[in-house]
Amino acid sequence: MTNKHIVHKPIPPEIQECADKHGGSRETALEVLKEIQTLHSALTADSVTDAARALKLPPHHLYGMATFYSMLSFEERKKVLRVCDGPVCWLKRASGQSSVTSDQLVSEWQNKIGNDFSVERTSCLGLCDRAPAVLVDDEQAGPVDVRDAKKVCEGWRGVPTDYSKPRKGEARVMMSLAGKIDPDSIEDALANGVYEGLKNAIRKTPDEVISEVEVSGLQGRGGAGFPVGRKWRFVASEKRTPRYIICNADESEPLIFKDRVLMDTNPHQLIEGITIAGYACGASEAWIYIRGEYEYQARRLENATEQAKSKNLLGENVLGSGFSFNIHVHRGAGAYICGEETALIESLEGKRGEPRLRPPYPPQFGFRGQPTAVNNVETFCAVPHILKNGAEWWKSLSNYTTPGTKMYMVLGHVKKPGLFEAPFGLTLRQVIEEFGGGMVKGSKFKFALCGGAAGTISGKSILDVPIDYSSAQKGVSLGAGAFLICDQSVSAVAMLRELLHFFAAESCGKCTPCRVGTWRALEILDRMTAGKGQKGDVDELKTLADLMQVSSFCGLGQSVAIPMKSALALFGEEFEQK
Amino acid sequence: MINIKINGQPIQAEPGKTILQVAKEHDVHIPSLCYHKDLNPTGNCRMCVVDVKGGRTLQAACVTPVWEGMEIETNTEKVMQDRKLTLELMLANHPQDCLTCDVAGDCELQDLAYEYKAEVPAWGAKGTRYAVDSDPNPFIRVDMNKCILCRRCESACAEIQVRDVWGVSSRGFDSVMVAGAGVPMLEARCESCGQCVAYCPTGALSNKMNYGVARAHQVRKVTTTCSYCGVGCQFDLQVKDNKVIGVHSNPNAPVNGMALCVKGRYGYDYIHHPDRLVKPKVRRYLLEGKQKSDIRETIFDTRKSNIELSNVGSPWAWVETEWDKALDIVAKKVAETRAKFGADSMGFLTSAKCLNEENYLMNKLARQVIGTNNIDHCARL
Repeated sequence: MTNKHIVHKPIPPEIQECADKHGGSRETALEVLKEIQTLHSALTADSVTDAARALKLPPHHLYGMATFYSMLSFEERKKVLRVCDGPVCWLKRASGQSSVTSDQLVSEWQNKIGNDFSVERTSCLGLCDRAPAVLVDDEQAGPVDVRDAKKVCEGWRGVPTDYSKPRKGEARVMMSLAGKIDPDSIEDALANGVYEGLKNAIRKTPDEVISEVEVSGLQGRGGAGFPVGRKWRFVASEKRTPRYIICNADESEPLIFKDRVLMDTNPHQLIEGITIAGYACGASEAWIYIRGEYEYQARRLENATEQAKSKNLLGENVLGSGFSFNIHVHRGAGAYICGEETALIESLEGKRGEPRLRPPYPPQFGFRGQPTAVNNVETFCAVPHILKNGAEWWKSLSNYTTPGTKMYMVLGHVKKPGLFEAPFGLTLRQVIEEFGGGMVKGSKFKFALCGGAAGTISGKSILDVPIDYSSAQKGVSLGAGAFLICDQSVSAVAMLRELLHFFAAESCGKCTPCRVGTWRALEILDRMTAGKGQKGDVDELKTLADLMQVSSFCGLGQSVAIPMKSALALFGEEFEQK
Repeated sequence: MINIKINGQPIQAEPGKTILQVAKEHDVHIPSLCYHKDLNPTGNCRMCVVDVKGGRTLQAACVTPVWEGMEIETNTEKVMQDRKLTLELMLANHPQDCLTCDVAGDCELQDLAYEYKAEVPAWGAKGTRYAVDSDPNPFIRVDMNKCILCRRCESACAEIQVRDVWGVSSRGFDSVMVAGAGVPMLEARCESCGQCVAYCPTGALSNKMNYGVARAHQVRKVTTTCSYCGVGCQFDLQVKDNKVIGVHSNPNAPVNGMALCVKGRYGYDYIHHPDRLVKPKVRRYLLEGKQKSDIRETIFDTRKSNIELSNVGSPWAWVETEWDKALDIVAKKVAETRAKFGADSMGFLTSAKCLNEENYLMNKLARQVIGTNNIDHCARL
């Protein structure tokens, strides 16, 4: 029996062309979907099916992706305005007026800005230094308020932050050239010593380079703090080739924007770090997986790789060393979970960004099933300096047991919120007083969200604990290095609700505890923030946190419990009263 | 072999096997939902979590391989509590309609809820999120309200039938299984084999033809071999009140396992169809002992007068008769033809719906009784 529902019709030429242009492989699926969306101003079931046929994939693969990534849409829209719904922007707005829900915010913007734009909420845009922030199509804007809607329409994009002047007490290594060079000029970079590390590296054997990084004690800056040298050693010792390097620039954790600043102020430093990693691991190609919201930075990186190629710092036979290496820039399309390394790899392979089973870990089985080293932008940015100045110098930067410097973000109710670079071992008190300029007038420290959305909510008792990758056990996590300082006006319940709102929106839906647990916890917290808490709510939140922590499939679900548990432990009474 | 401990009991296990496989071999019960032995494990549902000594979190037994010296606890208080909670989270968004559900009694979710005494939480079941019976497929009934997102349907369709119809759309709590780009199944290349139904642990995917006809305990299972083609798939006929009301996969079928095609799984309604021939029929003129030449004229008569050839009164009409009578007529005609035109004037075509033995007998009849090699089989086409 023939299936009468399948009527053969040719693939529309523009879709076939689009698929062919990108190479027609599965890995290009995200690019193809984005392009079709631009072409037709929305995706449809038909266009997704046609794209799947052009890429020789089952339609559900592409439909699954199209509904997974928040930047892809089935609704017709001309221009898109994405309003940041992250905790920092929320705090900025909350301090001005009483709490505004994201739905209210969206409709306020929609009313003001008119129907030329489709307004939607988005999880943290990584523009916390410019909060409150919005994304106008792919242009970053901030600080902008609803009142600025008209100006935004006319092309106003707020004021970018100036990073040329270090704060008092800063120790700048990765940020040393910030604001001092033209980031889009490789001549400027070369004149200021960028790529010296690479030149040093290729004079050594790959093994010596790994040893240097191992000796330096550099730990991964994504949040987990895994020793970088050891990870590279794993990859280099795998016999299978090709091996790959992936730079995780999917900076989607709320509060975190250091990678954006690093890419913006000195993209060549990153290119150099990735190339050194490629040389050390015996890799042939690298991908920078950058979040779709960072279009501006993605273009800057593309430009930088082209420039590096023209100077033979990338491409065939780098600086005559016989080592050939290429770097590609791959844009995400809006999904926090793609910052998890295996989800990132899945996404890079043209699939839904759902985490993989581990083991095997990426150094054994990564991109395309090959040995792959995945590191954070900040990690790669530190590498050239170690190769240039030596491991011992790197260790000497810090008096603390964890060597080197780290990018920190201090946000919220401090006088001078923003980004700075300093050695490890800072206490929260130092972060607030020395680098943040102290609490704003009239504010008293109540708690800090430490590390990111998946970090601890910490109170006064930990103000003097030195912070590093292991201090989470003492109640203050480092995570990716951000601290959102909250004063007495901020309700812990409302803050936790914001965080759960984020996690529920970003859970991939693969495993039951995270999929339903985040949603249920949000439901309870929604009620509590409205003052309609019920008996047993607090216990249920604790139970859900326990469940998600030990039973979830990946780190996202497991770490939702960190802010939940610490907030409940610290502000149990506040929760009980709601 | 490596040494592990399950619940304190030392066990020799084959390296590379998962905790769940080893536990099963040693009769240690670990519950599972998204796991099925025929499909690649995914670790989605988190029902099979166990406590592995030294682990920061609980481990999913279906995807965690055993290693030397591993110590596993399968039923600590924490493990049991977490499984129960996970179940409750599933049940919270599952309709509470076991009373009328077609698969009650044959539902893995129900069995686990019973085993863990998990109730639907007071906050759960907030109404129907998706249309009930949402797909026009004539054989498969879709009710995504009952789906627990184990994704077995996706794996079964991709790995066994290789049609890749089912997939997941959206993310987080909004995740839902869809066919193709969110279209009706038949538009997404579905060939209605029903593998997804066979692997669905709940009533999210069920059979449309016998929906509401019988519960699992009301039917008698009769294992039989499919009569459609020569592959020899086995399955269980579902018999209620001496009527075949459906076909279920038999996991122990030697040839096909759980797999069946649309004909085997859903092509059973001919059995009790009123049009089905249960007695032989012959043309009236043959019954009356006449030759075709005797009645040739009537053809022209009927054509002139627009009378149907098979009208009851017509000599061409089909008349029900006994087997002996019918076979006598056939034997006589065959013998006549052979005598008049020779054995090679005849040919024999057999059917894939016949048994091997029947086909063998046809072969004997053609070659030895009639004396011709003109014999063939429809499966050659």
